[in-house]
Amino acid sequence: MAISDKDFELLRDFIYNLCGMYFHSTKKYFLESRLTKRMEATGTKTAMDYYSLLKSPRGGEELRFLLDEVTTNETYFFRCVPQLNAIETKFLPEIVEAKGKMGFRKLRIWSAASSSGEEAYTLSMMLLEKRSTLLKDWIIEIVGTDINETVVAQAKEGVYNAYSVRNVPDLYKKKYFKEENGKFILSPEVKKFVTFNKLNLYDDTKMVFMKSFDFIFCANVLIYFDLAAKSKVVQHFYNNLQPYGYFFVGQSESLHGVNDKFKTIHFPGGFGYKK
Amino acid sequence: MDRQVMLETARNMVATIDDLPTIPAVATQVLQLLNNPDVNVDEVADLMLADQVMTARVMKMVNSPVYRPSQEITSLKRALVYLGLRHIKEVALTSSFINAFEDKGGVLEVAPCWEHAFGVGMVAKVIAEKIHYPDLEKAYIGGIIHDIGEVVLSYYRAEQFAAVLEMTRQRPIKLIDAEAETFGTTHAEIGFCIAERWNFPEAYREAILFHHDPRAATSDPVLCAIINLADLFCTVRDLNYGGRSWVVFNLAEEDGWLILKEQFPSLAQLDVERFCYELDDAVPDVKELVSSIFSKA
Repeated sequence: MAISDKDFELLRDFIYNLCGMYFHSTKKYFLESRLTKRMEATGTKTAMDYYSLLKSPRGGEELRFLLDEVTTNETYFFRCVPQLNAIETKFLPEIVEAKGKMGFRKLRIWSAASSSGEEAYTLSMMLLEKRSTLLKDWIIEIVGTDINETVVAQAKEGVYNAYSVRNVPDLYKKKYFKEENGKFILSPEVKKFVTFNKLNLYDDTKMVFMKSFDFIFCANVLIYFDLAAKSKVVQHFYNNLQPYGYFFVGQSESLHGVNDKFKTIHFPGGFGYKK
Repeated sequence: MDRQVMLETARNMVATIDDLPTIPAVATQVLQLLNNPDVNVDEVADLMLADQVMTARVMKMVNSPVYRPSQEITSLKRALVYLGLRHIKEVALTSSFINAFEDKGGVLEVAPCWEHAFGVGMVAKVIAEKIHYPDLEKAYIGGIIHDIGEVVLSYYRAEQFAAVLEMTRQRPIKLIDAEAETFGTTHAEIGFCIAERWNFPEAYREAILFHHDPRAATSDPVLCAIINLADLFCTVRDLNYGGRSWVVFNLAEEDGWLILKEQFPSLAQLDVERFCYELDDAVPDVKELVSSIFSKA
């Protein structure tokens, strides 16, 4: 179902103000298709009826369903290339230099909503490529956590379908995957830097133990939290970072108004938050 | 490096370029006409109509999605009124400038250069609006012309400039620093010298010279700060010379941002993330404007 530009802008602004996810106008078609599904499910006839539903007391619950629709299939290898480029070109060398000077040759990375593991393993591959140069003799620890045990188990297994690996550069695909019956099996070399655990980001007693990370990633999760919960979790991330560490959210997310301690660092095609 | 020395180097370099484009006769006449305090818009419009290319460019600029007039403007006179009488000079110069360089791509291709130029113009205007800067057109035009020095280097010093770009790819060095290393001057000083030769008004000359160093500006530091920020945002949001310029910045530490916040404290509340996402949405409009300006039709 096509929605008018005006209705699209209204919905986009409402969703953004509520959860901090921005729908680019290039994603209008995508939002339309997902909205159509939700409208069918809720029996609403027009975009404006659906908008009224979102604003009603039942709106919070419905927004979660909509966000599920929108973020589903959003987990794949090399998902956010501008982010990876910025890390590789700038942020990683900067941190390696600073820590190297202190004689502290250990890198810790946290994929805080790791789902089936694609993000954590992408980073592992990227760092593996630097094993003989920038990260020679460095200890690398990548931790993936998710609230959902099923996806944590999948992540540990490390077997993927063609959709998940569609963005993997050929060089990496050949080097780090074995293809069997249409499945892509990740090499043990990539897996050895990464551990996966179940973790609820809202669990303060567990969160305080996630210490000393250089990079933290948390995509497509904070959008589900209200402002108070978001602030609390983001403050944990802040505390859990090393000085000058970086925190990244998803490609269309915003932390505006959530935390005023992080500095926004802009790079080509995106931005991240620096402690 | 001493700015006076860099300016001198730039002057010498510009002086050696013997086929540097000149301002078309009509633009010169328009400028002369505008020196008369009693000039009226009809006279200017009549004169400009003699130059069809200039007329067409002005019409395209004013009707672009970037400018967004409420209805399409179909007469040159209305276009001039809409852009503001006081800006006819700049419009004439900008149009001449585009004309002069449209086939001079050099190392940087024509389209990405102008996408950056018009992008910075558009973003500068948006920022100017947010801080209630009194002259939005000035911000827009200042944005369009801020990198004229880059265009000159890319075309007239192609080989060395290609090496400069390569340098920025090999190590984390800013384009402007790589230029200073190679040429002993930068696109800011070179642009300033061109603007001087073309008799651009003082505020624009300053904006070109200080768009990377707005603290050094004396006549209109706010304008320089606006253009500095607009330039930074465009460089990270796909209006970045086709990805040839790699920039990372911490907004909180940027002079342009600090200058504007000193003057307009409410800017601190700006949702910068959303600002960037909205800028992404406007990128196709800018690209469309550039392709329409350079289409032969």
